[in-house]
Amino acid sequence: MAVKETIEAKQQIASPQLTGAEIREKIRLFPWWTVGLIGVFVLTAHLILTRPSYQDAFNFIRAGVGVTVQTTLVAYGIALVLGLFTGLGRISHNIVIQNLGTLYVELIRGIPMLVLIFFIAFVGVPAGVGLLNQIGEWFSQIGLQLIAQPLIQLENSSVPMTTRAIIALSVTYGAFQAEIFRAGIQSIGRGQMEAARAQGMTYWQAMRFIILPQAIRNVLPALGNDFVSMLKDSSLVSVLAVRDITQIAKLYAGRSFQYQEAYVTLAVLYLMMTVVLSALVKWIERRVRQDERNA
Amino acid sequence: MNATHEMIQVINLRKKFGRLVALDGVNLTVRRGQVIVIIGPSGSGKSTLLRCINHLETPTEGEIWIERQKITGNQRQLNAIRSQIGMVFQHFNLYPHLTVLENVTLAQRIVRKIPKSQAEAIAMHHLERVGIADKARFYPAQLSGGQQQRVAIARALAQDPKIMLFDEPTSALDPEMIKEVLDVMLNLAEEGITMVVVTHEMGFARAAADEVIFMDYGKIIERATPEVFFSQPAHERSRAFLSQILSH
Ligand SMILES: Nc1ncnc2c1ncn2[C@@H]1O[C@H](COP(=O)(O)OP(=O)(O)OP(=O)(O)O)[C@@H](O)[C@H]1O
Ligand SMILES: [Mg+2]
Repeated sequence: MAVKETIEAKQQIASPQLTGAEIREKIRLFPWWTVGLIGVFVLTAHLILTRPSYQDAFNFIRAGVGVTVQTTLVAYGIALVLGLFTGLGRISHNIVIQNLGTLYVELIRGIPMLVLIFFIAFVGVPAGVGLLNQIGEWFSQIGLQLIAQPLIQLENSSVPMTTRAIIALSVTYGAFQAEIFRAGIQSIGRGQMEAARAQGMTYWQAMRFIILPQAIRNVLPALGNDFVSMLKDSSLVSVLAVRDITQIAKLYAGRSFQYQEAYVTLAVLYLMMTVVLSALVKWIERRVRQDERNA
Repeated sequence: MNATHEMIQVINLRKKFGRLVALDGVNLTVRRGQVIVIIGPSGSGKSTLLRCINHLETPTEGEIWIERQKITGNQRQLNAIRSQIGMVFQHFNLYPHLTVLENVTLAQRIVRKIPKSQAEAIAMHHLERVGIADKARFYPAQLSGGQQQRVAIARALAQDPKIMLFDEPTSALDPEMIKEVLDVMLNLAEEGITMVVVTHEMGFARAAADEVIFMDYGKIIERATPEVFFSQPAHERSRAFLSQILSH
């Protein structure tokens, strides 16, 4: 940041003629890695346009982008809500809620994500369905058939793998985001809550109008980075045979024996999505910082 | 027992933080319209007393009454009572994500359910009162410390409080900004607002206080009019504190 500013300042005073030192400095600071990145994209585009085997692979695998993006978006949305409430729970004065929140976060953090996905899909979801059946029975006993019937009729085998994948990803990332929200809330000085309470606001009014707006602004970049991570980690749900791009690439490779084409295409597709998203996150981050400076 | 002219009544208040006794049996009565200045060395419990009065700290023992309402052990009424007590902090504690105008209207709107246009009119009135109406659309970070503290005072006044509490409102300010805040406070004192002020500004105490309270080790050591307190303090510790504070 500081380096960039001094350079900009120099440019304003300097004549159009650059000195040798200035040119060297410019060369040193130029983001050459982006050239490499663009090179990768251009090369892949070239392969796809000129070689039929790459073209076939690309056209086949491309069909999974929708599932990958959709799974990520839905799971991310649920994880946000889960994370916000768990984060609030972890700073709650109610020790039961606080400990439940901490237990959830620690359980998730202690298990590899791949294992979690298997676990949630094949243990968690069946257990959840069983619990809902039980609740249905209970509603039925107290005569609330309208609520009871759909719950009782719920079957484990009828829960699609895509749903299990989304549940697994959101439960996992909910724990990560809980930590982000908690840190964000705790980064706001104690004086803010005190000022709000001193004005007669309730705890929740103070959270909603004073603490969270500031906290969320502070954690926007972290939340954005989590979205990029989640997009990448969504490839793990291919183990549930969800037809995301990873699964489709695997199928294509296995069927056509064109492993190179399949996995080059797959890798570059992820790279393209994450590069675009990372740029978006950086842009948001800059906006937030600018706002702060103007404010 | 609570005659109508008693605005704040603190009865045998004790506050412990773990094993540390911050307040050790404080009794205090503040009548309507009185201006009380609290002084005392660092750590003597001045802030804690102020923060117990609006229940930002929960007293360990004792009772606090605001007008005829008991505030201790009265969770249900707590927010309603607090909304009638304005508090001004050393570090302003303005809401940085809101404009000056929003800072002053927010609590009116969500605590007292005043419609937006009316809340804004009230806010502008108080911002004019503290001489900062022209900055209504600015954000706190765009204002000087003195200006921010005046906004904080306007924010508290907009609650239409029965009592104003000030905790070292000028301690975080550069010297050239102290006067603008003290002038606002002097005006409020003249208007007859009940005020409890923790401050080291002895000039303000002389000019505005009905009574000065000297605290040490969590106790009220001395309570007197400023004339008496500054010319002939009754206690050895008050004298020592005064000589220390007036010597620089
Ligand atoms: N939240 C807290 N937790 C633990 N100890 C505290 C807390 N708040 C205050 N104390 C302690 O209580 C005592 C009284 O503190 P208080 O802030 O009321 O003093 P003060 O008179 O306002 O001092 P100062 O002039 O430095 O502001 C001090 O010893 C302080 O360290
Ligand atoms: Mg203090």
